[in-house]
Amino acid sequence: MLTIFIYTFLSGILAVTFDLIFGFTGQLSMFHPAVFGLSAYVTHLLVLHARLPFWLATLPAAAAAVALAIVVGSICFKFRLKTFYFAVVTLAFAEMLRLIIVNWNSVTNGTLGLVVSGKPTIWWPGTGLVAIRGPVAWYYLTLAALGATVLICARVLASWMGRAFGAIRLNEDLARTLGINVFRYKLVSFAIGNALASFAGGLYGYYTGYIDPGYLSINQSMEVLAMVLLGGQGTLTGPVVGSFVLTALPHVIDLRAEARAILYGAILIFTILVMPRGVVGTLRAWRMRRAA
Amino acid sequence: MAYAAGRVNGDRAGSLLAVRGVTKRFLGLVAVSDVSFTVARGEIVGIIGPNGSGKTTLLSVIAGMVPPSDGAVLWKGEAIHRLRPDVIAARGLVKTFQNPQVFAELSVFDNVLVASHLALKHARGGHRALTLVGIDGRAGRGLAERVRELLALCELTRAADQPAGNLSYGEEKMLGLAMALMCEPELLLLDEPASGLGHEEVDRLTAVLRRLHDTGTTLCIVDHKVGFLRGLAARVIALNYGRKVAEGRPDEVLNDPAVVEAYLGRAHA
Repeated sequence: MLTIFIYTFLSGILAVTFDLIFGFTGQLSMFHPAVFGLSAYVTHLLVLHARLPFWLATLPAAAAAVALAIVVGSICFKFRLKTFYFAVVTLAFAEMLRLIIVNWNSVTNGTLGLVVSGKPTIWWPGTGLVAIRGPVAWYYLTLAALGATVLICARVLASWMGRAFGAIRLNEDLARTLGINVFRYKLVSFAIGNALASFAGGLYGYYTGYIDPGYLSINQSMEVLAMVLLGGQGTLTGPVVGSFVLTALPHVIDLRAEARAILYGAILIFTILVMPRGVVGTLRAWRMRRAA
Repeated sequence: MAYAAGRVNGDRAGSLLAVRGVTKRFLGLVAVSDVSFTVARGEIVGIIGPNGSGKTTLLSVIAGMVPPSDGAVLWKGEAIHRLRPDVIAARGLVKTFQNPQVFAELSVFDNVLVASHLALKHARGGHRALTLVGIDGRAGRGLAERVRELLALCELTRAADQPAGNLSYGEEKMLGLAMALMCEPELLLLDEPASGLGHEEVDRLTAVLRRLHDTGTTLCIVDHKVGFLRGLAARVIALNYGRKVAEGRPDEVLNDPAVVEAYLGRAHA
Protein backbone atom coordinates (compact mmCIF):
# COMPACT_ATOMS: atom_id res chain seq x y z
CA MET A 1 0.00 0.00 0.00
CA LEU A 2 2.73 2.49 0.92
CA THR A 3 4.47 1.56 -2.32
CA ILE A 4 1.56 2.94 -4.30
CA PHE A 5 1.88 6.23 -2.48
CA ILE A 6 5.63 6.37 -2.96
CA TYR A 7 5.23 5.83 -6.70
CA THR A 8 2.39 8.35 -6.73
CA PHE A 9 4.55 10.97 -5.06
CA LEU A 10 7.52 10.34 -7.34
CA SER A 11 5.51 10.46 -10.56
CA GLY A 12 3.54 13.31 -9.00
CA ILE A 13 6.71 15.42 -8.97
CA LEU A 14 7.18 14.63 -12.62
CA ALA A 15 3.56 15.45 -13.45
CA VAL A 16 3.46 18.72 -11.48
CA THR A 17 6.66 20.01 -13.05
CA PHE A 18 5.44 18.91 -16.48
CA ASP A 19 2.25 20.85 -15.88
CA LEU A 20 4.27 23.97 -15.07
CA ILE A 21 5.57 23.84 -18.64
CA PHE A 22 2.47 22.42 -20.34
CA GLY A 23 -0.60 23.46 -18.38
CA PHE A 24 0.61 26.84 -17.17
CA THR A 25 2.99 28.04 -19.89
CA GLY A 26 1.31 26.19 -22.75
CA GLN A 27 4.34 24.33 -24.11
CA LEU A 28 3.82 20.62 -24.78
CA SER A 29 7.26 19.31 -23.82
CA MET A 30 8.20 15.70 -24.54
CA PHE A 31 11.57 16.25 -22.96
CA HIS A 32 10.49 15.58 -19.39
CA PRO A 33 11.31 11.86 -19.10
CA ALA A 34 14.67 12.47 -20.74
CA VAL A 35 15.67 14.80 -17.94
CA PHE A 36 14.15 12.45 -15.39
CA GLY A 37 16.08 9.43 -16.72
CA LEU A 38 19.29 11.30 -17.33
CA SER A 39 19.28 12.65 -13.78
CA ALA A 40 18.78 9.15 -12.43
CA TYR A 41 21.95 8.13 -14.28
CA VAL A 42 23.97 11.23 -13.46
CA THR A 43 23.09 11.11 -9.77
CA HIS A 44 23.95 7.45 -9.46
CA LEU A 45 27.16 7.68 -11.49
CA LEU A 46 28.35 10.63 -9.42
CA VAL A 47 27.73 8.72 -6.21
CA LEU A 48 29.45 5.66 -7.65
CA HIS A 49 32.50 7.24 -9.27
CA ALA A 50 32.96 10.60 -7.60
CA ARG A 51 31.94 9.24 -4.20
CA LEU A 52 29.62 12.15 -3.62
CA PRO A 53 26.86 11.78 -1.06
CA PHE A 54 23.45 11.31 -2.74
CA TRP A 55 22.11 14.78 -1.97
CA LEU A 56 25.24 16.50 -3.24
CA ALA A 57 25.06 14.41 -6.41
CA THR A 58 21.54 15.62 -7.20
CA LEU A 59 22.84 19.17 -7.63
CA PRO A 60 25.12 18.58 -10.64
CA ALA A 61 22.29 16.46 -12.04
CA ALA A 62 19.92 19.41 -11.69
CA ALA A 63 22.54 21.72 -13.18
CA ALA A 64 22.85 19.36 -16.15
CA ALA A 65 19.05 19.39 -16.50
CA VAL A 66 19.02 23.20 -16.54
CA ALA A 67 21.86 23.33 -19.07
CA LEU A 68 20.07 20.86 -21.34
CA ALA A 69 16.80 22.72 -20.94
CA ILE A 70 18.48 25.96 -21.96
CA VAL A 71 20.06 24.38 -25.05
CA VAL A 72 16.94 22.52 -26.19
CA GLY A 73 14.59 25.33 -25.16
CA SER A 74 16.66 28.02 -26.88
CA ILE A 75 16.62 26.10 -30.13
CA CYS A 76 12.87 25.44 -30.00
CA PHE A 77 11.80 28.87 -28.76
CA LYS A 78 14.14 30.78 -31.10
CA PHE A 79 12.39 29.13 -34.01
CA ARG A 80 9.03 29.79 -32.34
CA LEU A 81 7.97 26.15 -32.50
CA LYS A 82 4.38 25.92 -31.38
CA THR A 83 2.49 23.05 -29.71
CA PHE A 84 2.83 20.12 -32.06
CA TYR A 85 6.17 21.14 -33.56
CA PHE A 86 7.60 21.84 -30.14
CA ALA A 87 6.43 18.40 -28.97
CA VAL A 88 8.04 16.65 -31.92
CA VAL A 89 11.36 18.45 -31.63
CA THR A 90 11.61 17.94 -27.86
CA LEU A 91 10.73 14.28 -28.43
CA ALA A 92 13.58 14.03 -30.94
CA PHE A 93 16.00 15.48 -28.40
CA ALA A 94 14.72 13.05 -25.77
CA GLU A 95 15.23 10.12 -28.13
CA MET A 96 18.72 11.36 -28.90
CA LEU A 97 19.60 11.26 -25.21
CA ARG A 98 18.03 7.84 -24.82
CA LEU A 99 20.06 6.44 -27.72
CA ILE A 100 23.26 7.89 -26.30
CA ILE A 101 22.54 6.15 -23.00
CA VAL A 102 21.61 2.88 -24.70
CA ASN A 103 24.83 2.85 -26.73
CA TRP A 104 27.29 4.17 -24.19
CA ASN A 105 27.84 0.70 -22.75
CA SER A 106 31.02 1.37 -20.81
CA VAL A 107 29.31 3.93 -18.61
CA THR A 108 25.62 3.10 -18.66
CA ASN A 109 25.69 -0.65 -19.22
CA GLY A 110 23.39 -0.14 -22.20
CA THR A 111 19.94 -1.68 -22.24
CA LEU A 112 20.75 -3.86 -19.23
CA GLY A 113 20.77 -0.82 -17.00
CA LEU A 114 22.47 -0.26 -13.68
CA VAL A 115 21.79 -1.63 -10.23
CA VAL A 116 21.72 1.05 -7.57
CA SER A 117 22.74 -0.47 -4.27
CA GLY A 118 23.12 2.54 -1.98
CA LYS A 119 20.43 4.52 -0.22
CA PRO A 120 20.32 8.25 0.45
CA THR A 121 21.05 9.28 4.00
CA ILE A 122 19.65 12.09 6.05
CA TRP A 123 20.80 13.64 9.27
CA TRP A 124 18.42 12.90 12.08
CA PRO A 125 18.68 14.67 15.43
CA GLY A 126 20.05 12.33 18.06
CA THR A 127 21.07 9.46 15.83
CA GLY A 128 23.14 11.34 13.23
CA LEU A 129 23.25 10.14 9.62
CA VAL A 130 20.74 7.41 8.84
CA ALA A 131 20.13 5.66 5.55
CA ILE A 132 16.60 5.81 4.20
CA ARG A 133 15.38 2.25 4.02
CA GLY A 134 11.99 0.67 4.09
CA PRO A 135 8.67 1.95 2.83
CA VAL A 136 7.83 4.19 5.78
CA ALA A 137 10.99 6.27 5.49
CA TRP A 138 10.61 6.46 1.72
CA TYR A 139 6.97 7.42 2.09
CA TYR A 140 7.87 10.48 4.13
CA LEU A 141 10.88 11.37 2.02
CA THR A 142 8.96 11.29 -1.26
CA LEU A 143 5.98 13.04 0.31
CA ALA A 144 8.28 15.83 1.47
CA ALA A 145 9.87 16.01 -1.97
CA LEU A 146 6.49 16.29 -3.67
CA GLY A 147 5.38 18.87 -1.10
CA ALA A 148 8.49 20.95 -1.73
CA THR A 149 7.95 20.72 -5.49
CA VAL A 150 4.33 21.82 -5.26
CA LEU A 151 5.30 24.69 -2.95
CA ILE A 152 8.04 25.90 -5.27
CA CYS A 153 5.74 25.71 -8.29
CA ALA A 154 2.94 27.49 -6.42
CA ARG A 155 5.37 30.23 -5.41
CA VAL A 156 6.61 30.65 -8.98
CA LEU A 157 3.08 30.71 -10.38
CA ALA A 158 1.83 33.26 -7.86
CA SER A 159 4.64 35.62 -8.80
CA TRP A 160 4.82 38.09 -11.67
CA MET A 161 6.81 35.51 -13.54
CA GLY A 162 3.91 33.08 -13.21
CA ARG A 163 1.57 35.72 -14.58
CA ALA A 164 3.84 36.09 -17.57
CA PHE A 165 3.72 32.31 -18.10
CA GLY A 166 -0.08 32.47 -18.18
CA ALA A 167 -0.04 35.41 -20.57
CA ILE A 168 2.17 33.45 -22.96
CA ARG A 169 -0.14 30.44 -22.80
CA LEU A 170 -3.27 32.49 -23.43
CA ASN A 171 -2.09 34.88 -26.13
CA GLU A 172 1.54 34.96 -27.10
CA ASP A 173 1.27 37.83 -29.58
CA LEU A 174 -0.56 40.04 -27.11
CA ALA A 175 1.98 39.21 -24.41
CA ARG A 176 4.73 40.32 -26.78
CA THR A 177 3.14 43.69 -27.53
CA LEU A 178 2.73 44.26 -23.79
CA GLY A 179 6.48 44.05 -23.40
CA ILE A 180 6.76 40.52 -22.07
CA ASN A 181 9.92 38.78 -23.25
CA VAL A 182 8.21 35.62 -24.46
CA PHE A 183 11.43 33.80 -25.30
CA ARG A 184 12.96 34.38 -21.90
CA TYR A 185 9.93 33.39 -19.86
CA LYS A 186 9.33 30.23 -21.88
CA LEU A 187 12.93 29.30 -21.25
CA VAL A 188 12.66 30.05 -17.53
CA SER A 189 9.54 27.91 -17.22
CA PHE A 190 11.19 25.08 -19.16
CA ALA A 191 14.35 25.27 -17.05
CA ILE A 192 12.51 25.33 -13.70
CA GLY A 193 10.29 22.42 -14.72
CA ASN A 194 13.22 20.33 -15.86
CA ALA A 195 15.39 21.17 -12.86
CA LEU A 196 12.68 20.04 -10.43
CA ALA A 197 11.97 16.92 -12.48
CA SER A 198 15.62 15.96 -12.23
CA PHE A 199 15.28 15.46 -8.46
CA ALA A 200 12.48 13.00 -9.08
CA GLY A 201 14.83 11.08 -11.38
CA GLY A 202 17.57 10.82 -8.76
CA LEU A 203 15.13 9.68 -6.08
CA TYR A 204 13.40 7.21 -8.39
CA GLY A 205 16.63 5.42 -9.23
CA TYR A 206 17.53 5.10 -5.57
CA TYR A 207 14.08 3.96 -4.55
CA THR A 208 13.72 1.22 -7.15
CA GLY A 209 17.42 0.30 -6.97
CA TYR A 210 17.55 0.02 -10.72
CA ILE A 211 18.00 2.35 -13.69
CA ASP A 212 17.52 1.52 -17.36
CA PRO A 213 17.10 3.52 -20.58
CA GLY A 214 13.36 2.87 -20.47
CA TYR A 215 13.16 5.78 -18.04
CA LEU A 216 13.74 8.08 -20.99
CA SER A 217 11.22 6.49 -23.33
CA ILE A 218 8.23 8.06 -25.01
CA ASN A 219 5.97 5.81 -22.90
CA GLN A 220 7.02 7.82 -19.86
CA SER A 221 6.09 11.00 -21.70
CA MET A 222 2.67 9.62 -22.50
CA GLU A 223 2.16 8.50 -18.92
CA VAL A 224 2.98 11.93 -17.54
CA LEU A 225 0.77 13.59 -20.13
CA ALA A 226 -2.06 11.20 -19.24
CA MET A 227 -1.68 12.03 -15.53
CA VAL A 228 -1.87 15.76 -16.19
CA LEU A 229 -4.79 15.55 -18.61
CA LEU A 230 -6.71 13.23 -16.31
CA GLY A 231 -6.10 15.28 -13.16
CA GLY A 232 -6.48 18.68 -14.76
CA GLN A 233 -3.97 20.74 -16.70
CA GLY A 234 -3.19 24.17 -15.41
CA THR A 235 -3.72 23.11 -11.79
CA LEU A 236 -1.23 21.94 -9.18
CA THR A 237 -3.43 19.38 -7.48
CA GLY A 238 -4.63 17.88 -10.76
CA PRO A 239 -1.34 16.24 -11.72
CA VAL A 240 -1.06 14.70 -8.24
CA VAL A 241 -4.60 13.30 -8.49
CA GLY A 242 -3.88 11.98 -11.98
CA SER A 243 -0.65 10.45 -10.81
CA PHE A 244 -2.43 8.72 -7.94
CA VAL A 245 -5.20 7.31 -10.14
CA LEU A 246 -2.87 6.03 -12.82
CA THR A 247 -0.40 4.60 -10.30
CA ALA A 248 -3.00 2.94 -8.11
CA LEU A 249 -5.20 1.54 -10.89
CA PRO A 250 -2.79 -1.10 -12.19
CA HIS A 251 -2.21 -2.25 -8.61
CA VAL A 252 -5.88 -2.48 -7.83
CA ILE A 253 -6.73 -4.18 -11.09
CA ASP A 254 -3.88 -6.55 -11.82
CA LEU A 255 -3.00 -5.97 -15.45
CA ARG A 256 -0.33 -6.96 -17.91
CA ALA A 257 1.72 -4.27 -19.62
CA GLU A 258 -0.25 -4.42 -22.86
CA ALA A 259 -3.58 -4.17 -21.08
CA ARG A 260 -2.20 -1.29 -19.05
CA ALA A 261 -1.28 0.60 -22.20
CA ILE A 262 -4.81 0.08 -23.51
CA LEU A 263 -6.26 1.31 -20.21
CA TYR A 264 -4.08 4.43 -20.33
CA GLY A 265 -5.18 5.09 -23.89
CA ALA A 266 -8.85 4.60 -23.02
CA ILE A 267 -8.64 6.90 -19.99
CA LEU A 268 -6.85 9.55 -22.01
CA ILE A 269 -9.46 9.48 -24.78
CA PHE A 270 -12.32 9.47 -22.29
CA THR A 271 -10.91 12.43 -20.37
CA ILE A 272 -10.26 14.53 -23.44
CA LEU A 273 -13.76 13.89 -24.77
CA VAL A 274 -15.78 14.16 -21.56
CA MET A 275 -13.70 16.26 -19.17
CA PRO A 276 -11.27 18.37 -21.15
CA ARG A 277 -10.35 20.19 -17.97
CA GLY A 278 -9.56 17.00 -16.06
CA VAL A 279 -10.91 15.85 -12.70
CA VAL A 280 -9.76 18.85 -10.68
CA GLY A 281 -10.61 21.37 -13.39
CA THR A 282 -14.12 19.96 -13.77
CA LEU A 283 -14.70 19.89 -10.03
CA ARG A 284 -13.50 23.45 -9.73
CA ALA A 285 -15.82 24.65 -12.51
CA TRP A 286 -18.71 22.78 -10.94
CA ARG A 287 -18.05 24.34 -7.54
CA MET A 288 -17.81 27.81 -9.04
CA ARG A 289 -21.11 27.35 -10.83
CA ARG A 290 -22.75 26.26 -7.58
CA ALA A 291 -21.32 29.26 -5.77
CA ALA A 292 -22.55 31.65 -8.45
CA MET B 1 -1.48 61.63 -13.22
CA ALA B 2 0.05 58.25 -12.77
CA TYR B 3 -1.09 56.76 -16.05
CA ALA B 4 0.64 59.44 -18.04
CA ALA B 5 4.09 58.74 -16.71
CA GLY B 6 5.74 59.78 -19.97
CA ARG B 7 9.43 60.00 -19.35
CA VAL B 8 10.99 63.25 -20.39
CA ASN B 9 14.42 62.13 -21.56
CA GLY B 10 15.27 62.12 -25.25
CA ASP B 11 15.12 65.12 -27.54
CA ARG B 12 12.09 67.21 -26.92
CA ALA B 13 12.35 69.30 -30.02
CA GLY B 14 13.08 66.48 -32.48
CA SER B 15 10.59 63.94 -33.66
CA LEU B 16 9.68 61.06 -31.41
CA LEU B 17 9.02 58.70 -34.27
CA ALA B 18 10.38 58.92 -37.80
CA VAL B 19 9.26 56.52 -40.50
CA ARG B 20 11.68 56.67 -43.44
CA GLY B 21 10.82 55.13 -46.79
CA VAL B 22 9.17 52.05 -45.28
CA THR B 23 8.15 49.40 -47.78
CA LYS B 24 6.57 46.06 -46.93
CA ARG B 25 6.14 43.35 -49.54
CA PHE B 26 4.36 40.07 -48.90
CA LEU B 27 5.52 37.74 -51.70
CA GLY B 28 4.34 39.66 -54.74
CA LEU B 29 2.00 42.05 -52.95
CA VAL B 30 3.25 45.48 -51.98
CA ALA B 31 1.27 46.35 -48.84
CA VAL B 32 3.20 49.49 -47.92
CA SER B 33 5.26 51.40 -50.43
CA ASP B 34 7.91 53.97 -49.56
CA VAL B 35 6.00 55.70 -46.76
CA SER B 36 7.73 58.44 -44.76
CA PHE B 37 6.37 60.61 -41.98
CA THR B 38 7.27 61.81 -38.49
CA VAL B 39 5.42 62.16 -35.21
CA ALA B 40 6.55 64.85 -32.78
CA ARG B 41 6.14 64.58 -29.03
CA GLY B 42 2.69 65.67 -27.88
CA GLU B 43 1.03 65.35 -31.28
CA ILE B 44 -2.07 63.46 -32.30
CA VAL B 45 -1.49 62.13 -35.79
CA GLY B 46 -4.21 60.36 -37.74
CA ILE B 47 -3.64 57.86 -40.53
CA ILE B 48 -6.58 57.35 -42.85
CA GLY B 49 -7.17 55.30 -45.94
CA PRO B 50 -9.71 52.87 -47.36
CA ASN B 51 -9.66 49.17 -46.47
CA GLY B 52 -6.56 47.44 -47.78
CA SER B 53 -4.58 50.65 -48.09
CA GLY B 54 -1.80 49.33 -45.84
CA LYS B 55 -2.64 51.11 -42.59
CA THR B 56 -2.55 48.07 -40.33
CA THR B 57 0.59 46.72 -42.00
CA LEU B 58 2.31 50.05 -41.48
CA LEU B 59 1.47 50.01 -37.76
CA SER B 60 2.67 46.41 -37.48
CA VAL B 61 6.00 47.39 -39.02
CA ILE B 62 6.37 50.32 -36.61
CA ALA B 63 5.57 48.15 -33.59
CA GLY B 64 8.03 45.47 -34.68
CA MET B 65 5.45 42.77 -35.37
CA VAL B 66 6.73 42.40 -38.95
CA PRO B 67 10.08 43.59 -40.30
CA PRO B 68 10.02 46.10 -43.17
CA SER B 69 11.26 44.94 -46.57
CA ASP B 70 12.91 48.30 -47.01
CA GLY B 71 13.30 51.58 -45.17
CA ALA B 72 13.78 52.40 -41.50
CA VAL B 73 11.80 53.23 -38.37
CA LEU B 74 13.55 55.59 -35.98
CA TRP B 75 12.53 56.06 -32.35
CA LYS B 76 14.15 59.14 -30.81
CA GLY B 77 16.69 58.96 -33.60
CA GLU B 78 17.52 55.31 -33.09
CA ALA B 79 16.66 52.55 -35.59
CA ILE B 80 14.17 50.11 -34.06
CA HIS B 81 12.87 48.19 -37.06
CA ARG B 82 15.03 45.15 -36.32
CA LEU B 83 14.02 44.95 -32.64
CA ARG B 84 11.51 42.55 -31.09
CA PRO B 85 8.04 43.89 -30.25
CA ASP B 86 8.57 43.49 -26.51
CA VAL B 87 11.79 45.52 -26.68
CA ILE B 88 10.04 48.24 -28.68
CA ALA B 89 7.19 48.27 -26.16
CA ALA B 90 9.74 48.59 -23.36
CA ARG B 91 11.11 51.73 -25.02
CA GLY B 92 7.69 53.36 -24.81
CA LEU B 93 6.09 52.58 -28.19
CA VAL B 94 2.97 50.50 -27.63
CA LYS B 95 0.32 49.32 -30.10
CA THR B 96 -3.27 48.22 -29.67
CA PHE B 97 -4.92 45.68 -31.95
CA GLN B 98 -7.64 46.27 -34.50
CA ASN B 99 -9.45 43.12 -33.42
CA PRO B 100 -9.36 43.36 -29.67
CA GLN B 101 -6.90 40.91 -28.14
CA VAL B 102 -7.48 39.96 -24.53
CA PHE B 103 -6.57 37.09 -22.22
CA ALA B 104 -10.09 35.67 -22.32
CA GLU B 105 -9.76 33.35 -19.31
CA LEU B 106 -8.38 35.98 -16.97
CA SER B 107 -10.49 38.56 -15.21
CA VAL B 108 -10.54 42.09 -16.60
CA PHE B 109 -8.48 43.22 -13.62
CA ASP B 110 -5.86 40.53 -14.18
CA ASN B 111 -5.66 41.38 -17.86
CA VAL B 112 -4.49 44.86 -17.01
CA LEU B 113 -2.26 43.54 -14.24
CA VAL B 114 -0.46 41.27 -16.71
CA ALA B 115 0.24 44.35 -18.77
CA SER B 116 2.06 45.93 -15.84
CA HIS B 117 5.22 44.05 -16.63
CA LEU B 118 6.85 47.12 -18.13
CA ALA B 119 5.48 49.47 -15.51
CA LEU B 120 7.16 47.22 -13.00
CA LYS B 121 10.44 47.65 -14.80
CA HIS B 122 10.13 51.42 -14.79
CA ALA B 123 8.75 51.65 -11.29
CA ARG B 124 11.41 49.90 -9.28
CA GLY B 125 14.61 48.96 -11.06
CA GLY B 126 16.35 47.36 -8.09
CA HIS B 127 13.32 45.60 -6.70
CA ARG B 128 12.29 44.17 -10.01
CA ALA B 129 13.97 40.79 -9.67
CA LEU B 130 12.56 40.32 -6.19
CA THR B 131 9.11 41.34 -7.32
CA LEU B 132 9.30 39.01 -10.30
CA VAL B 133 9.74 35.99 -8.07
CA GLY B 134 7.19 37.29 -5.61
CA ILE B 135 9.44 38.08 -2.65
CA ASP B 136 8.88 41.84 -2.69
CA GLY B 137 5.21 42.70 -2.78
CA ARG B 138 5.42 46.48 -2.48
CA ALA B 139 5.69 47.30 -6.17
CA GLY B 140 2.79 44.95 -6.81
CA ARG B 141 0.45 46.83 -4.48
CA GLY B 142 1.23 50.14 -6.13
CA LEU B 143 0.50 48.65 -9.50
CA ALA B 144 -2.83 47.21 -8.39
CA GLU B 145 -3.84 50.76 -7.52
CA ARG B 146 -2.87 51.89 -11.02
CA VAL B 147 -4.87 49.08 -12.56
CA ARG B 148 -7.94 50.39 -10.73
CA GLU B 149 -7.28 53.92 -11.98
CA LEU B 150 -7.02 52.74 -15.56
CA LEU B 151 -10.15 50.62 -15.31
CA ALA B 152 -11.99 53.66 -14.02
CA LEU B 153 -10.64 55.77 -16.87
CA CYS B 154 -11.81 53.22 -19.44
CA GLU B 155 -15.11 52.76 -17.60
CA LEU B 156 -14.52 49.09 -16.90
CA THR B 157 -14.64 49.20 -13.11
CA ARG B 158 -17.96 47.35 -12.96
CA ALA B 159 -16.58 44.50 -15.07
CA ALA B 160 -13.29 44.20 -13.16
CA ASP B 161 -13.94 40.73 -11.75
CA GLN B 162 -15.53 39.24 -14.85
CA PRO B 163 -13.57 37.06 -17.23
CA ALA B 164 -12.46 39.20 -20.18
CA GLY B 165 -14.11 36.69 -22.51
CA ASN B 166 -17.53 37.89 -21.31
CA LEU B 167 -17.04 41.48 -22.43
CA SER B 168 -18.80 43.08 -25.37
CA TYR B 169 -16.77 44.02 -28.43
CA GLY B 170 -16.62 47.67 -27.42
CA GLU B 171 -15.59 46.79 -23.86
CA GLU B 172 -12.89 44.49 -25.17
CA LYS B 173 -11.51 47.38 -27.18
CA MET B 174 -11.49 49.59 -24.09
CA LEU B 175 -9.74 46.80 -22.19
CA GLY B 176 -7.13 46.63 -24.95
CA LEU B 177 -6.61 50.35 -24.47
CA ALA B 178 -6.32 49.99 -20.69
CA MET B 179 -3.71 47.26 -21.13
CA ALA B 180 -1.71 49.37 -23.55
CA LEU B 181 -1.85 52.29 -21.10
CA MET B 182 -0.55 50.09 -18.30
CA CYS B 183 2.64 49.81 -20.35
CA GLU B 184 3.14 53.57 -19.85
CA PRO B 185 3.54 54.41 -23.53
CA GLU B 186 5.12 57.65 -24.68
CA LEU B 187 3.59 57.03 -28.06
CA LEU B 188 0.45 54.97 -28.36
CA LEU B 189 -0.35 53.43 -31.74
CA LEU B 190 -4.06 52.75 -32.06
CA ASP B 191 -5.24 50.44 -34.82
CA GLU B 192 -8.84 51.36 -35.71
CA PRO B 193 -9.89 52.01 -32.11
CA ALA B 194 -13.36 53.21 -33.19
CA SER B 195 -14.24 50.43 -35.62
CA GLY B 196 -17.19 48.36 -34.48
CA LEU B 197 -18.10 50.81 -31.72
CA GLY B 198 -21.48 52.45 -31.26
CA HIS B 199 -22.00 56.21 -31.13
CA GLU B 200 -21.79 56.49 -27.36
CA GLU B 201 -18.75 54.27 -27.23
CA VAL B 202 -16.96 56.40 -29.82
CA ASP B 203 -17.71 59.51 -27.74
CA ARG B 204 -16.36 57.83 -24.63
CA LEU B 205 -13.26 56.72 -26.52
CA THR B 206 -12.71 60.23 -27.84
CA ALA B 207 -12.94 61.62 -24.32
CA VAL B 208 -10.43 59.07 -23.01
CA LEU B 209 -7.98 59.78 -25.83
CA ARG B 210 -8.29 63.53 -25.22
CA ARG B 211 -7.49 63.06 -21.57
CA LEU B 212 -4.50 60.93 -22.44
CA HIS B 213 -3.24 63.56 -24.79
CA ASP B 214 -3.74 66.25 -22.16
CA THR B 215 -1.58 64.27 -19.76
CA GLY B 216 1.30 64.00 -22.20
CA THR B 217 0.84 60.86 -24.27
CA THR B 218 1.54 61.17 -27.99
CA LEU B 219 -1.02 59.41 -30.15
CA CYS B 220 -0.93 57.93 -33.62
CA ILE B 221 -4.37 56.75 -34.64
CA VAL B 222 -5.25 54.65 -37.67
CA ASP B 223 -8.91 54.71 -38.59
CA HIS B 224 -11.17 55.03 -41.55
CA LYS B 225 -13.86 56.79 -39.56
CA VAL B 226 -13.01 60.20 -40.91
CA GLY B 227 -15.33 62.07 -38.59
CA PHE B 228 -13.79 60.51 -35.50
CA LEU B 229 -10.28 61.49 -36.58
CA ARG B 230 -11.27 64.98 -37.71
CA GLY B 231 -12.28 65.78 -34.16
CA LEU B 232 -9.02 64.53 -32.63
CA ALA B 233 -6.02 64.73 -34.91
CA ALA B 234 -4.15 67.92 -35.66
CA ARG B 235 -2.44 66.31 -38.61
CA VAL B 236 -3.65 63.54 -40.91
CA ILE B 237 -1.78 61.27 -43.28
CA ALA B 238 -3.74 59.56 -46.05
CA LEU B 239 -2.73 56.23 -47.54
CA ASN B 240 -3.99 54.55 -50.68
CA TYR B 241 -2.66 51.32 -52.18
CA GLY B 242 0.18 51.42 -49.65
CA ARG B 243 1.39 54.89 -50.70
CA LYS B 244 1.12 58.17 -48.87
CA VAL B 245 -1.16 60.34 -51.02
CA ALA B 246 -1.66 63.35 -48.75
CA GLU B 247 -0.57 64.87 -45.44
CA GLY B 248 -1.68 67.98 -43.59
CA ARG B 249 -4.47 69.46 -41.50
CA PRO B 250 -7.57 67.23 -41.44
CA ASP B 251 -9.70 69.58 -43.57
CA GLU B 252 -7.00 69.99 -46.18
CA VAL B 253 -6.40 66.27 -46.45
CA LEU B 254 -10.07 65.34 -46.53
CA ASN B 255 -10.63 67.76 -49.42
CA ASP B 256 -7.54 66.62 -51.27
CA PRO B 257 -8.59 65.22 -54.67
CA ALA B 258 -6.39 62.14 -54.26
CA VAL B 259 -8.08 61.35 -50.93
CA VAL B 260 -11.57 61.94 -52.22
CA GLU B 261 -10.80 59.68 -55.14
CA ALA B 262 -9.45 56.97 -52.86
CA TYR B 263 -12.60 56.99 -50.76
CA LEU B 264 -15.32 57.69 -53.28
CA GLY B 265 -13.86 56.76 -56.65
CA ARG B 266 -12.63 58.84 -59.55
CA ALA B 267 -15.97 60.37 -60.56
CA HIS B 268 -16.18 62.49 -57.39
CA ALA B 269 -12.66 63.88 -57.54
